[in-house]
Amino acid sequence: MAPLSPYTYIQCPCSDAPSQARPSETPTRDIAADQDDDDRTFDPRAPRSNYSLYPLEYLLYCEDCHQIRCPRCVAEEIVTYYCPSCLFEVPSSNLKSEGNRCTRSCFQCPVCIGPLQVTSLETPPDPNLLAADNTSSGPSGPYILACAYCHWSSIEIGIKFDKPNGIYSQLQKLRNGGQTRLTAKERKDRRKEAMSTGSFASTHPSNPGSDDVLDVESQFENLRTFYSHQLSESTSAAPGLSMSDLGISSPSSLARLMNYYNVGSLDPSKKGLGNSRGRARLGTFREALDTEEGLQLAQLDESASISAFKASTLSDLTTTSQRLSQAESHLSNLVSPALHGSSRLTSTLRPIPVLLRTKRSKRCPVCRHIISKPEPKVASTRFRIRLVAGSYIPAVSIRPLRVPGVTPPPPPDGLLRPLVPAQYLLTFTNPLFEPVKVTLATPSTTPGRFASKVTVLCPQFEIDANTDVWDEALKSGSSETSRRRDEGSKAGGVAEVGKIWERGRNWVSIVVEVVPALIKTEGGEELKEDEDVLEIPMFIRIEWEADATGAEVGAAPGTGKEVREKRELAYWSALGIGRIGSLGQLG
Amino acid sequence: MSRRAPKGEYIETDTGNKVARKAILVGTQNITLGGKTVIQPEVMIRGDLSRSSASSGGSGSGNNTAISIGRYCFFSRGCCLRPPGRFYKGHFTHLPLRMGDHVFVGQNSVVQAATIGSHVHIGEGVVIGEMATIKDYTRILDGTVVPPYMTIPSFSIVAGRPARVIGEVPEGGHEAFELRELYKTVGNNVQPAPA
Ligand SMILES: [Zn+2]
Ligand SMILES: [Zn+2]
Ligand SMILES: [Zn+2]
Ligand SMILES: [Zn+2]
Repeated sequence: MAPLSPYTYIQCPCSDAPSQARPSETPTRDIAADQDDDDRTFDPRAPRSNYSLYPLEYLLYCEDCHQIRCPRCVAEEIVTYYCPSCLFEVPSSNLKSEGNRCTRSCFQCPVCIGPLQVTSLETPPDPNLLAADNTSSGPSGPYILACAYCHWSSIEIGIKFDKPNGIYSQLQKLRNGGQTRLTAKERKDRRKEAMSTGSFASTHPSNPGSDDVLDVESQFENLRTFYSHQLSESTSAAPGLSMSDLGISSPSSLARLMNYYNVGSLDPSKKGLGNSRGRARLGTFREALDTEEGLQLAQLDESASISAFKASTLSDLTTTSQRLSQAESHLSNLVSPALHGSSRLTSTLRPIPVLLRTKRSKRCPVCRHIISKPEPKVASTRFRIRLVAGSYIPAVSIRPLRVPGVTPPPPPDGLLRPLVPAQYLLTFTNPLFEPVKVTLATPSTTPGRFASKVTVLCPQFEIDANTDVWDEALKSGSSETSRRRDEGSKAGGVAEVGKIWERGRNWVSIVVEVVPALIKTEGGEELKEDEDVLEIPMFIRIEWEADATGAEVGAAPGTGKEVREKRELAYWSALGIGRIGSLGQLG
Repeated sequence: MSRRAPKGEYIETDTGNKVARKAILVGTQNITLGGKTVIQPEVMIRGDLSRSSASSGGSGSGNNTAISIGRYCFFSRGCCLRPPGRFYKGHFTHLPLRMGDHVFVGQNSVVQAATIGSHVHIGEGVVIGEMATIKDYTRILDGTVVPPYMTIPSFSIVAGRPARVIGEVPEGGHEAFELRELYKTVGNNVQPAPA
């Protein structure tokens, strides 16, 4: 078993509903919750705990609620969409029309997901021009997409491009093998043309299955046109209802549509309801009949695929992950043919357009204040607002306590010895500009099947403020500081009960003693995952005095004094100390 | 340098760079260090692979920096920094490798990127392919292979072969990229870390 590096996870209050609310709003319930807290210990091993424990850096803090917030409970809002490859911002209006992938020239390799590069196939004509900028007179086409990681290139699927830019739109018009293909837009334009020259009804039955295979986007477009046409026709047939201008996206139109189809429902319970209204209009509504109306017949004849498989080797077949990434990019309208089960051979793979990424701001779920807001520009890494929990609550670091000459040398495997007491140093670092009082509580034994004993030698202490380093240097001569420096038991070399170990500018270390449990399973029973990890649930309460918040300052004007208020924050944490070895392992 | 000067493991420059005597720096005239940068033993930095050395008609002007490094960078034992090369109009040429501040490169990693931003952590045994661009606040986990020409946007956590973005650096994780403290732990007369 590999050793484990110590960790500290903190529980967000969103895992128990009452304390998530602002304390001022629920004064009565808070008292009740406090009483509950006294009886209840937190079990970091409980399945639910997986979803509420976070390392400190993942936590945010709401200054209005004075509470920790985690990735699970914050409300996210997208500030910017951008392509992670070309780093261009994508306006959200484009997103609606073009989808959530980069429509410039950014693609991933369909074989290995590495980035694809636009490369010229032609040897450069003028070798003497070694200009620093490569924009002016670059090499000429044709161009291909090539993967620098696995050396796949679009030649393998028979695709070359005329221009080095706008690959996305070029690829939309190309089938594997190089034949051109109508895009959804062109299809639409063509249909419009047909509608303007002749009538829609007279042209479409004459070319059934004109383009036999549609991509998903075209099929959806055709179906939508067909059904809105049907809907408007049926509405005009029944003049009492004027729903024609509502369009297909309105929920009432959809309900009506569904009503038409319930007529023929096989469900006997629905028959009575559907019959009375539906029968009257029966016959005015029909299903799509051909490609132009969005009908796609399932391709059941797979003999072509089977003979292709027979002629291919294992390396010609796609892997599950390759098929999956193809399926994910279906909606981008670049995969042809688009329907299921297509990309079984590597020759059918299509380059994957890069998925866009976002910058997001985060709101407190309770008071709706923004607690994190990045600068919208893609190139900027600044934040306008960034209230991270690390600037409010102490960081806790854990390491073994080693006193030269006293502590035995650490076991080479880095595991804890069962039943042998071990001492660990917990160092609390205060980020606040006020001194804080810390109170710790742990159960005397860890929860779970294997109970290790836990003793916190000094569960209550104060940490000095996170003052300026220079202030501290000037102050260091004072007797007050040196007295406080001496209070630690480090000087004695032995950890003492009720005494901190050591104190620094804005940190205090204390000793926790553990007696690891003996990990023993009976009857060949398997250990559950990480059951041999010694993890201590610890309740941390921090109290400090701070400047009162704005509203309260306004309430006491003219006093001239700074209004101070008591603050308190309490939360559960899980401290991972290490993995416990077995007796056999240790000899 | 005087022969009698006491020899520590590191040479400390006026700008606070700590360069291990056992580090291999080739073509030092083409390497710029911003200061307070640590170069551990067995690190190799290939300043000789500069643009002018590749082109036949190099004028030998001062502007042929092969590798430029910002402040507070840390290069762990056995890693290698190498300017990227590519064929350009029929000639093979090297392009400069530029690196911002607070860049950590783990043991035995090879970096051939074109640009690495600031606050970037590159783990152990990582390969950064030629011409790759790595933006600020990015963490590249151990053993990752970043393909050539790949762009990695800010606040990415990257892993795998080939590399893919597997996560986002959380808001509270920015400070962890600072290398000021790490800088203090290395050198000839280092104060012992607080016990
Ligand atoms: Zn939460
Ligand atoms: Zn892009
Ligand atoms: Zn590839
Ligand atoms: Zn709030």
